[in-house]
Amino acid sequence: MAPERQILFERDELAKTISRMAHEIVEKSTNPRDLVLMGIRSRGVHLARRIARKIHEVENIAPPVGIIDITPYRDDRIHPELSTEKGLDGQVSVDEKTVILIDDVIFRGRTIRAAMDAVAQLGQPQRILVAVLVDRGARELPIRADIVGKNVQIGDGERVNVMLAESDGIDQVSLSHWQPRNV
Amino acid sequence: MSLRSVISIADLTNDEIEEIFDLAGSAEKLRGDRVGHGRIMATLFYEPSTRTRLSFESAMHRLGGSVISCSDMKSSSAAKGESVADTAKVVSSYADVLVVRHYWDGAVQAMAEYADIPVINAGDGSHEHPTQTLCDLYTLKKEKGRLKGLTVVICGDLKNGRTIHSLVYGLARFGANVVTLAANGMELPQYVLERLEREYGYTLAPVASGDLSAVVTETDALYLTPKQPHQLALFTQVDTAVQSQLSTMVSGLRYDAFYMTRKQKERMKDGSRAESYPTIGESFLKEQRFKDTVVMHPLPRVDELSPAVDKDKRGIYFKQAAYGVPVRMALLKFICEQRSSKAAGVEKPGSIYESPEGVGPRCPNANCITVMEPGSTQKRFQILAGGLGGALILRCIYCDHRFKVQLVGHVKSKHYCAYDSSLEQTAKDWLKKNELAIFGSIKEAEERGYEPYKSGPQRTLMDESEIQAALAELGDQVVRDCRDANRLLILGIRTKGAYLAQRLAAQLAAHQVRPEIGEIEIYGSGDEIRRVSPADPDAAPLNLKDREILLVDDVIYTGKTVKTALSLIFRAGRPQSVRLAVLVDRGHREVPVKPNYVGKHIPSSERERVRVKLRETEHDEKDKVVIYSIVSPPESRTGRVA
Repeated sequence: MAPERQILFERDELAKTISRMAHEIVEKSTNPRDLVLMGIRSRGVHLARRIARKIHEVENIAPPVGIIDITPYRDDRIHPELSTEKGLDGQVSVDEKTVILIDDVIFRGRTIRAAMDAVAQLGQPQRILVAVLVDRGARELPIRADIVGKNVQIGDGERVNVMLAESDGIDQVSLSHWQPRNV
Repeated sequence: MSLRSVISIADLTNDEIEEIFDLAGSAEKLRGDRVGHGRIMATLFYEPSTRTRLSFESAMHRLGGSVISCSDMKSSSAAKGESVADTAKVVSSYADVLVVRHYWDGAVQAMAEYADIPVINAGDGSHEHPTQTLCDLYTLKKEKGRLKGLTVVICGDLKNGRTIHSLVYGLARFGANVVTLAANGMELPQYVLERLEREYGYTLAPVASGDLSAVVTETDALYLTPKQPHQLALFTQVDTAVQSQLSTMVSGLRYDAFYMTRKQKERMKDGSRAESYPTIGESFLKEQRFKDTVVMHPLPRVDELSPAVDKDKRGIYFKQAAYGVPVRMALLKFICEQRSSKAAGVEKPGSIYESPEGVGPRCPNANCITVMEPGSTQKRFQILAGGLGGALILRCIYCDHRFKVQLVGHVKSKHYCAYDSSLEQTAKDWLKKNELAIFGSIKEAEERGYEPYKSGPQRTLMDESEIQAALAELGDQVVRDCRDANRLLILGIRTKGAYLAQRLAAQLAAHQVRPEIGEIEIYGSGDEIRRVSPADPDAAPLNLKDREILLVDDVIYTGKTVKTALSLIFRAGRPQSVRLAVLVDRGHREVPVKPNYVGKHIPSSERERVRVKLRETEHDEKDKVVIYSIVSPPESRTGRVA
């Protein structure tokens, strides 16, 4: 059976939300010049770039954008690859900076935990904050999102679909309700 | 080290480098003399290499010596988890000289400490690559006839390139000017700049980007963004009177060489930064002002250096690669024949700090051998006084990173305080008497039994009955949220969190819930620093997989302790969930950690210390939570404070 869809954001509202998140990030940083945005692959990266552009518009500061690919840090992998690359865009300096981890959806908290380990590989930031487009609750770890685009409380059987123009050709955030499969 | 190892370019004096260059100039003679005859060189490359390894091996063969190597470290005992210290000890008995490349910063230094033979660094992490620098300096000298007074532009990835770090020190030593042309976000690290300023008296000046915009690409597009603030010129021997005119000096500079580095595509996954990478193309060749500028590159190249330059006499990178063999022949001869060190390091002044407490500050470089494999190192730091604002700076002996000392303690009186410049002499005295302890955090100091030197008046925020009530409430909440009591595991963060974990478990027992109890050691000392273990030493090891973990600590502040605990937990197994219970939340979070259960919220300022006193740790004291301000420095310079 086809999943039902409920639209959360369309293009304009998404733009407004990202703009609000950018403002909040600036507010929460002690010094906007010390900001480093770290997007979590792959939609987190697109969001990080959009937020960086917004911050540039507002504050005339272009915060560096880094990329975190947490695949090597995921705790559900049995044999993490021994590699020196560690799935990091190693070019961004985070020492003494305010690092904003950016992702599309926060759920169990495992991705952010892994991302914190990845950031530790890069250096010692002064502070780490988390910014997400959608917080769907139901955390399994004591991790919080500091800057949230929208909170939704949904059950395990539901999905948040984030589509961004950069990767999906359209800006849209929706919920889908999967029907239990008939056996 | 009595053996002559070359880990950093600083391990050779200028005279010795000149001597090696002279030897390299007569490489044919070295070949005839067969100075390597009867000697064995072992090569251990933990990271891939073509040029460095082949030129080392070729050099040894040409000297009449032999070579043993491990073709792939992944198939060696290193893959079975052998420490670099053990590998070094073992290989020492197989060879006369050891050439190592490793992916951790400082790993080769650690190996040299354990090896009984000279060790040559063929590149360690992003730290140094001294033999490449010898080849680079030799090439420059051959081409330009001198090194002093040359102006060299180093381009591209200046952050991760170990080649670059050794090269700038080398150029600095011989009195060349250095202009940096970094790709965006890949500037020279701060510690390298500091060392250039401090040890070689370099003056740094920003370069107007317009001046270097002549480094253009095939498309003629400017690959430098306007007003890019990061580019620097590093001048040698500029006196203060001329400093104000530095920017005009930059525009008048004659560039003798461009030193390109590889665009590391693997680090630029989506090409985001590719467009800011300095590139040399055909238009470079047409620029009149670069008619005498040579182009160097350690190779391999990607597309930052156009093949069009190959045919031009200014492109000297293949020569540079070819010099690798004679220079390494000269170095091998030099090392094999010189058994003792004349240089003893050009930069080894200052005092060495070894933590008397077994633990100590961690090197801030996450890729440093002291962090990756502490067992192979001794956690030694060099103390450099006189940082900005009188800060005390520690330099990691292994990877050269520097960081500020935050807290110092006195070993005998077991007191600590925040470091500030007025304590400089006191700290020096303590160091001399081996009584200085340096800590990374207050919690670390207190876990070692240190007390603050002086504290303001104390206020009690929670008394025994309030603590008891809070724990009872926490226990109720935990039971309510627990999905499967059989999978519950309570982990207390040592030491106070572990006591609280025991008390919480007692609360749960009232609800007929009797979970397993464990501890997490984060600030302990000894071999097994940082581990997760059962609270009862005789109990079976903990299995964290699919457990519902309740993490317990006394006070949550920045959240960094909890973050470390989470890392440890996930390294030990994959739990189904982790919840966090704390007696006190005092705010000021620096990481996105949030407790699920809080006994009491206590707003506090950053100068204050909230302390939980438990009867298990404080003799003859009742449970209470107190708050006080930390006042430092100590009253008495001798450290005898009541």
